[in-house]
Formats: sequence, structure tokens, C-alpha cells
Amino acid sequence: MKNTKLLIAGVFLTVALPFGALLLSSQAQLGSLGRAPAEEGGPLFPPRTPGLAVQGRAVYVSLGCVSCHTQQVRPAGQGSDIARGYGERPSVARDYVLQPDVLLGDRRIGPDLANYGVRAKSIADVHVAIHHGKAFAFLYESGAKGEIPSERAASLAAYLQSLRQDYSSPEAKLKQ
Amino acid sequence: MSQDNHSARPQGRPPEGDSRLSRVEAQLRSPFLFFFVSALIWLLASSVLALISAFKLQAAAGVLDCEIFTYGRVSAAQHNLFIYGWGFNAFFAVNLWLTSQLGRFELRNAWLVTLGAVVWNLTLTYGVLRIFAGDMNSFSLLEMPRGVGPVLAVAFLLAAFWPIVAYARRPTGHSFASQWFIVGASFVFPLTYLLTQLLVLWNPASGVVQALAHSWFIQNLLLLWLGGSALASVYYFLPKVLGRNITGYYLASVAFWTFFLFAGWTGSASLLGSPIPLWVQSVGVVGAAMLLVPIIITAINFHGTLSVDGGWSRAWNSTTLRFVSFGAVAFTIAGFLNAFFSFRGYNAVVRFTSFGAGQEQLLTYAFASMVIFGAAYFILPRLTGSLWPSAKLVHLHFWATALAAVGSIAAALTVGWQSGKQLADASVPYAKVLAASSGLATASVLFAILFLVGHVAFALNAFGMILKSSAPAAESRHD
Ligand code: HEC
Repeated sequence: MKNTKLLIAGVFLTVALPFGALLLSSQAQLGSLGRAPAEEGGPLFPPRTPGLAVQGRAVYVSLGCVSCHTQQVRPAGQGSDIARGYGERPSVARDYVLQPDVLLGDRRIGPDLANYGVRAKSIADVHVAIHHGKAFAFLYESGAKGEIPSERAASLAAYLQSLRQDYSSPEAKLKQ
Repeated sequence: MSQDNHSARPQGRPPEGDSRLSRVEAQLRSPFLFFFVSALIWLLASSVLALISAFKLQAAAGVLDCEIFTYGRVSAAQHNLFIYGWGFNAFFAVNLWLTSQLGRFELRNAWLVTLGAVVWNLTLTYGVLRIFAGDMNSFSLLEMPRGVGPVLAVAFLLAAFWPIVAYARRPTGHSFASQWFIVGASFVFPLTYLLTQLLVLWNPASGVVQALAHSWFIQNLLLLWLGGSALASVYYFLPKVLGRNITGYYLASVAFWTFFLFAGWTGSASLLGSPIPLWVQSVGVVGAAMLLVPIIITAINFHGTLSVDGGWSRAWNSTTLRFVSFGAVAFTIAGFLNAFFSFRGYNAVVRFTSFGAGQEQLLTYAFASMVIFGAAYFILPRLTGSLWPSAKLVHLHFWATALAAVGSIAAALTVGWQSGKQLADASVPYAKVLAASSGLATASVLFAILFLVGHVAFALNAFGMILKSSAPAAESRHD
């Protein structure tokens, strides 16, 4: 390998080729993806996240919940996510278009949360789930009648309740 | 490489260095020690954090249940310190020294390197403190706030661009495999780091494309920068210490090119089943399989060299090679595992489990870190002019880290596979899967203690040696 320019040019290409062919072309394919109605004239999905839940999302990121929880449902052939009740249909790229930073996650120490808002029966259940034993008890203050969720716990709960991919999208229809 | 090379130097063997401390080595002594001491401090810090985060996963948790010590923050801080603190600093040091051995090289501006080291470590400290404060991003190894990225990139260039300069200025056409790997690794990291920062943090790409960019970055970071740097060390130390040519050295350039060509395509294999285009996922699977080419060639080069003429037993008796060949074996295993578990069927079982953590540890610890230890046992005595204070600590270091590495990786892989199998069967309730894998949490605590013991042993020895040397070395200059 006598020629330095050749070496540098070669190494540069090993960066540029995947960057162009995988990343830029995926961005070209998905970049213009927006919200869409499930059927002609219907409401647009994914729905916008309500304000309190937007704050809760920031709490979710800052407490590192993503290190134990994913938010993605794999298709039926790839793992048992649907059979386990993590969602009724696989997640699609469109589900994430409104998210400034995507919280897909890559480790499941706890269950997937893509559809937690569909599963959660009551707000009390959500607060029990947030506790994780005592690990996140610092989000609650003790009051006269038991625990009172702090502002952050309340917004986190609103965020968790907003997690749902239970609408049909052009790529993934729900079974009727 | 060059068939038209007129020197009598045998192929497949690094040049004979001067046994005395060369002038260049004297020039890079203080930046080297700065990097190395920083690396050690971060290694100790990350080992302590690893112990804390292992405790936090225990069912009987309740350890440090306060906000800054939540699992997500501790494990992110640990991960960043281990990679950017330990791995980067150590390879800044080792790559610089290797460059000085492999060709004529002047480090006239050693202060620039030291400046890079100072900036790198201060920025890292700041970034990790921000993680503890909760100001973090959600992508692994990009958790530090986004302002940190560009500063780290500049510091990287100051610290690690010299091998490229040296390579471009080398007087003869001849070059050695280690040089290509160092040049490639030092070139790829800053470029991919900045591009990823742009696509993920500064000007976020559409939704899931961020995850794709992140997976591409992780492969470049782990395989090309850490892996490429570690390969450079293996290519150097094996023939050097054994005093023999690399077996099948003519294949090394194929290994280099295929490694760099294919590694960048393998990232999306870690996103199988995620909501990214199917063709992108398939490219990742193919890339991971193609990566077997350099894995097999390096296996021939390394294990071939070790298999001739009692090489394995001689390697066992040399502290440097004991660590380095441990790393070389780990690299081969990691490569095959990676290709195998990129196939959809197997990947579907192990994805999201502890299996991935085991694979990463195989690459970053059992391979890269063990190679760094081996290199340190060779280089530090040269640069400090003194001997390792305690042979017992050397043994303790090897056995503690080797056992902890084998044990914790085996545990992460088998528990990952088992719980993956259980999860695949939707009739097994989640609580049962959790209960079945709770053994891993206990094992992780034990192995984290063992790692810490090994690292403390290494650090005591290394600090002892560096402190001992700095005083007499200054005196001996008088005579
Ligand atoms: C150390 C890993 C870990 C971290 C960090 C973590 N979780 Fe969990 N989480 C779990 C585990 C394990 C379970 C399952 C507990 C069980 O079923 O007993 C769980 C369960 C949950 C559930 C209930 C899911 C269901 O389907 O019932 C919710 C909601 C949840 N976590 C939200 C969060 C939030 C919000 C955060 C961040 C504040 C967080 N988790 C951080 C491990 C973690």
C-alpha cells in the first residue's frame, strides 16, 4: 500500500458509500412521510401528543427509561411481539414521524411500551407501574392521604397513557 | 505490501525497533502517559459504575434509590466512560506509540497532542456529569448533550490525527498492516461521529432514520475505531514478540480492505424487525455475512502465526501475548457470532435480550480491552524505563479480568438466548421470564466485583511504575 492518497480515498469511500446508499436514500424514501388518514377523509394519524405528555416525554428521556424499555412492535414473523400483546399490528415508520428524537430503544429489560396507553386500565395502575418497587419513588411526595404524584410523575403518566399505535395506517391496517 | 520493496526487511514483520528509547519515543512519552493515566482513571470509574448498575438490576434492589443514580443514568455514564474514557484514551496512546515504531515519525508538536488530551477528557467529564443531571439523549453512546460532540471531534483530531500525517510523510513506500488499520480507524471515527451527530442531534432526520444512523455509527465506532485500532496492535505484537512473520501476511491487505468496506453496512442488521425499510435490513444481514471474509483472514493470520512452532505456549508465557492472543481469539468468536445472529430467525430470538450486551462486551472487552492491556505490558516498561512492580498483581490482573470476561459474556449470551426462547413462546408470562433471568443479575454483581479487582490490580501496578519512574528518570538525565 504505497499510495497514501489511494488509502485515504478508499477509506473515505467506505464511509461515504453506506452513508449515501443506506442513510441518505432512507431519508429520501422516508423523509417526506407525514401523517395520513386511515381511510379517505378520516382523522390524521399518528395523533399529536398532548402538551402534558410532551413534558412527560422529556422526563422519560431524562430518567433513562429507554435503557430498559423499547417502543416498537415487530411483525408477526419476527419475534412474538404481537402474540404477547405488545400491539395489534407491527410498528411502521409513519408512527414515528412526529417524534423529534425517536425512542425505539434496543433493550427490553421491561416490556415494550409502544401500546402501553392501550393496555393501561387506570391512572392508578400507571402510577404503580412508574414506581418500579421503590426505584422511582422519588417522583412522589407523601401526603395526608397516601402518595401524591409530583408534577413530573403526572406528566410522565400522561405520556405513558398517550402511547398507542392502535390506529390503521396506510402501511399497516388493523384487522377488522 | 510492496513487492517492489528493496529493503531486506522480511514481510509480515514489523521493523526492528531500537532497543534504546528513541528520540521520538521520548517526545511522545508525556502525551502517552497523560492518555494512559486518564484511561486508567476512567476504567476504574466505569468499573465502579458497572458494579452500581449491576446492583440496580437485582431483584432486591433498593441500592441508591435516588434520582441521579437511576439505572438509565448510571448505565449510560458507565457505557460512555468505558468507551470514550478508557477505550479512546488507551488507543490514542497505543496508536501513537505504534506509529513511532513503524516508520520515521517526528512528534514536534507534542503539546498539541496534550492539548487534545486535556480537551477530550474535560469535555467527557462535563458530558458525563450532564448525564447524571438528566440532560441526556436517548441513543446509546450519543447520550452526552449535543454541544459535546463537535468539541470531542476537534479533540480527537488533535489527539489522533498524527498517524495519518506520519503515514502521508513516510519516506519509503513500504508500510505495515498495523499502519493501515490505524490510519483507517483514525480517519473513520471523526467523520462518522460528526455525520451522525448531524443526523441525530443537530438536524434530526425523519423519525426512524435516526435509529438507522445511530446503528451505522455504533458499527463504525465499535468495529472500525476500537476494533481497527485493536487489530493494528495484534498485527504488531504477535510477530514482534514471537520473532516470526505473520502467517499468510499477503492476505492482510485483503483483510484490511474487506473489513473497512463491509463494516459500514452491517449496522442495520441490529434493527431486524424495526420499522425501517426491509431492503435496508437485508443489506445489514448481507453485510454481516460478508464481514466473515476479514474475520477468517485475520483468524488465519493470527491463529496461524500462533500455531507454528509452539507459538501458543510461548504466547502464554509472555504477559503481553497472553492478553493479546486472548483478544485475538475473542475477535474471531465475536465475528462468527455476529454473522450467525444476524440471520433473521436467530436474531428474532435474541433481539432486545442481554445477548446483544454480551456480543458488545466480547468485542469491546474480551477483544479490544485485553489487547490494550497486552500492549501496555509491552510499552510502559519501555517508556518509563522501569519494571512492573509486582508480578503477583500481573497474575491477579490477568486471571480476574479473563475469568470475569469469559463468565460475564457467557452469562449474558446464554441468559439472552434462554429468555429469548421463552419470550418467543407467548404463553410464557413475562413475570416468569423475568424470574428465570434473575440469575444474570446476581452473576453480574459478582463479575463486576471481579472486573474491579482486576482493574485495581492493574492500576496499582501501573501507577506504581509510573510514579517510580518519574523521579529517577529525571535524575538519570544528569549522568
Ligand atoms: C432497570 C430497568 C428499568 C427501567 C430503568 C425502567 N423500567 Fe419500567 N419496567 C421494568 C420492568 C422489569 C418492568 C416489568 C415489571 C413487572 O412486570 O413486574 C417494567 C414495567 C414498566 C411498565 C408497565 C408495563 C406493562 O406492560 O405493564 C411501565 C409503564 C414502565 N415500566 C415504565 C417505565 C418508565 C416510565 C420508566 C422511566 C421512569 C421505566 N419504566 C424505567 C424495567 C425498567
